[in-house]
Amino acid sequence: MVNDIAIVGYAQSPSWRASELTEPQFLFPVISEAIERAGVERREIGFTCAGSCDYLSGQTFAFVMNLEAVGAWPPISESHVEMDGAWALYEAWVRLQHGDIDTALVFGSGKSSPGKPAEIYPLQMDPYTLTPLGADPVSLAALQARAMLDAGKITEREMAEIAARSRKSAIGNPYAQVSGDDDPEALLKEPYVTAPLRRHDLPPISDGACAIVLATADKAKALSKRPVWIRGIDHRIDIHQPGMRDLTESPSTRLAGKKAGVGDAKVDVAELSATFSHQEKLLCEELGLGDDVEINPSGGALAANPVMAVGLARFAEAARQIAEHGKHRVVAHATSGQALQQNLVAVLEGD
Amino acid sequence: MSSQAAAVIGIGQTKHKKKRDDVSLPGLVREAAQRALDDAELNWTDIDAVVLGKAPDPFEGVMMPELSMADALGANGKPMMRVHTAGSVGGSTALVATHLVQTGVHDRVLTVAYEKQAEGNAQWGLAGGRSGGMGAGGIFAPWMRTYINKSGAPEDIGWKVAVKDRQNACKNPYAHLHLPDISIEKVKESPMLWDPIHFLESCPSSDGAVAMVLTNEAGAKKAPRKPAWVLGTAMRSELGTFPGRDTVRPQAGVECAHMVFDAAGITNPREQIDIAELYVPFSWYEPMWLEGHDIAGPGEGWRMVEDGSTQITGDFPVNPSGGVLSSNPIGASGMLRFAEAALQVRGEAGEHQVADAHVGLAQAYGGAAQYFAMWVVGSSLDAVGARK
Amino acid sequence: MTDTKQPDSKQDEAVDPNAPITGMDYFMKLEYHELICPVVREFADALMEKRLIGHKCPKCSLIYSPPRGYCPICTVQTTKADEIEMQTRGIVTNYTVVTPVQYYGQEETEPFAKVSLQLDGGGNLSLQDLPGVPVEQVRSGMRVEIVWAPDGERHVDDVTNRSWGSAEGAIRGWKPTGEPDADPSEYSDKVF
Ligand SMILES: [Zn+2]
Repeated sequence: MVNDIAIVGYAQSPSWRASELTEPQFLFPVISEAIERAGVERREIGFTCAGSCDYLSGQTFAFVMNLEAVGAWPPISESHVEMDGAWALYEAWVRLQHGDIDTALVFGSGKSSPGKPAEIYPLQMDPYTLTPLGADPVSLAALQARAMLDAGKITEREMAEIAARSRKSAIGNPYAQVSGDDDPEALLKEPYVTAPLRRHDLPPISDGACAIVLATADKAKALSKRPVWIRGIDHRIDIHQPGMRDLTESPSTRLAGKKAGVGDAKVDVAELSATFSHQEKLLCEELGLGDDVEINPSGGALAANPVMAVGLARFAEAARQIAEHGKHRVVAHATSGQALQQNLVAVLEGD
Repeated sequence: MSSQAAAVIGIGQTKHKKKRDDVSLPGLVREAAQRALDDAELNWTDIDAVVLGKAPDPFEGVMMPELSMADALGANGKPMMRVHTAGSVGGSTALVATHLVQTGVHDRVLTVAYEKQAEGNAQWGLAGGRSGGMGAGGIFAPWMRTYINKSGAPEDIGWKVAVKDRQNACKNPYAHLHLPDISIEKVKESPMLWDPIHFLESCPSSDGAVAMVLTNEAGAKKAPRKPAWVLGTAMRSELGTFPGRDTVRPQAGVECAHMVFDAAGITNPREQIDIAELYVPFSWYEPMWLEGHDIAGPGEGWRMVEDGSTQITGDFPVNPSGGVLSSNPIGASGMLRFAEAALQVRGEAGEHQVADAHVGLAQAYGGAAQYFAMWVVGSSLDAVGARK
Repeated sequence: MTDTKQPDSKQDEAVDPNAPITGMDYFMKLEYHELICPVVREFADALMEKRLIGHKCPKCSLIYSPPRGYCPICTVQTTKADEIEMQTRGIVTNYTVVTPVQYYGQEETEPFAKVSLQLDGGGNLSLQDLPGVPVEQVRSGMRVEIVWAPDGERHVDDVTNRSWGSAEGAIRGWKPTGEPDADPSEYSDKVF
């Protein structure tokens, strides 16, 4: 049996195309805001966990400097995953299950602006067979989209509609980088970037950060009038070699969703880390989310894609739907690797 | 509290070498993982989740390698995590796996850590690709000098640790360095790398991996071999650079030790701990950590080295495996400490087994001596109590 | 960031075509272009005017140079209002003599020293150079003063968000003042 853990504070930075601030500099106010909104004292926090990536910023031990934004003095109990901040949240959720501490701080941050994604991300693939081919995210996503089109699981028009809806939803979201009122017909007239993907099917390149404060049940009730309960959380990984996967499916998402209990009751909203338009449809299928579920009211990853924070930001946006917009049951999703290789799914609920 | 007992029931490591050109990266981790599974007499399908740890990705040029290693580690369809807390990562990774079992989230977790230093260039990585890199020793050398000045330790203490760990390594078939002819004279005469650190007082650069299978009480009872029970865990971090920081005795290290002692019910570490595997990449760190973790009093750490207490036959053996000074696959070095402490309390350490080892301490540190991970393992759940 | 190895001229030497292939070299080159953050830009601008600046935390009075824009101890942000000009004389508090190992991009071939400094009037710098001082003469307690690069030659091209404190284009290093060494009590608890 797992104990209920709640989100009691969350904050995000804007999503910038290129921030002139260093990662610890833009993390600093985000962490402070999340702690302040949770109403806890910084020194009360029992565990801290971060997610970031050396290769994004091109610096070994990049995460060490991020500790400065936490204020790790006097010393703190702390850990770091070289993964999206959503997995830092998972590690903290596990740590809170012990019951000996009652609050945890998690954050994710990344600066994608200094490097070139098409050069960096091939290093994330099998170093012997795929890295030398320069297997980059857009090409792999394009293969996935092509497979879905060929299988009749999506149309280019649906992809454009997903992009247009995401951009429209992002209007008024202060954390979004891309927003606008676009006609899907007009989007479909744009040239391909990497066929069958057009500009609108791709995420922006973003710098940004997100921080969340978690608390155990008693503490959450004491801290917050509207704690956001994590009712289920699970993550799974699939085979790495894209050639050995059916790219039109995501068994890891399906299984994680089942374990997290997505289908156990009606879902009001889902915040999905679909960094390419076609992935939203694939994720909805695997999670069993129907037309009655509002998808990515924030605009999602197509509107802001601060890598290493974008998955955790889905938790912040999902929590906002419950705490600020009165929604009851919201799904948050994060992904890692290319073409949805690894996926984390959580179900959040209000009281 | 929803915390239950956790135990190590399987341990595997590779032969550590300068260059494991006989295996790929996934081949290296699978070798260690398969040995851990064999030790536990389990199959890949018995494992619920995999937790992988390693030091910075730029060391091998593979970004987030858990993604491409998922296949080799049988992780498909399972939860997989990747931990990175600098040099302490091997320890932190084992602790994340332990917490998954203790909280009942999973029944059997495989945890693996590795580094394949020959695949890239760690010195280049540490220097961030720039000229004039300090190397890890360059960061730590001034702090060792300060320790020597403050404690009044004679200069041969560092040489003694270097000799002891290499002699211990000769009893460990997995150790990278086997230097049967090591001597005080040879250490002293070896080139000075970072004053006061001589070449033979420094860790090698190794390829290697280590893996453990952790399970709960029910799983441990079914295990074919003696389990090592996890009696306490602790992680502690502090800022690496700020004016006035005590770099010789970092506060995070002091607190981490007290947390793990408290968790394990240890009130007198020197008496109640039978064997310690401490992260000693440069010889002076043995006395520095003995004092920095309040095992020895101020200025007493080097005396434990001098009087032979930390030898394999002493009353407080440190690094009977040969330690980081004899094998340093960076990301795995911390987990090797954790695994070696577990081997000792299981009585499975072979030639480097310490007699009557029932309570073992393992420690890993990283960054600018600012990240700490520790556990205490025992031959039974009341191993510490039985020691009182 | 550039990878470790460059194609090696030795590869032109005759190789046995029947030898088994046991590995392959894969060379990669990644380029990163990072914007200089505002507080480091101010630090660099001051260097061009032969001024060494830092931020003094309004809460704990610790001085950070180059400025970071925050005090990580107090977790408060610092701004231009917290800027102070630091003295350019100080004491060597500790040092490292590095025997360089070779890797791609390494230009050092002989042992070199890097020192930590405590500046008169407050503030600390790490990873500083003492050009012209033989490494065996480097010691804690030495009193030193700054050596600016001459007008016209001074530049801050090497100042980045990551080069905390080192700025060889503007600060050639530090030279002994010739005064008697400081008493260890003045610096012995400051060993970073
Ligand atoms: Zn302050």
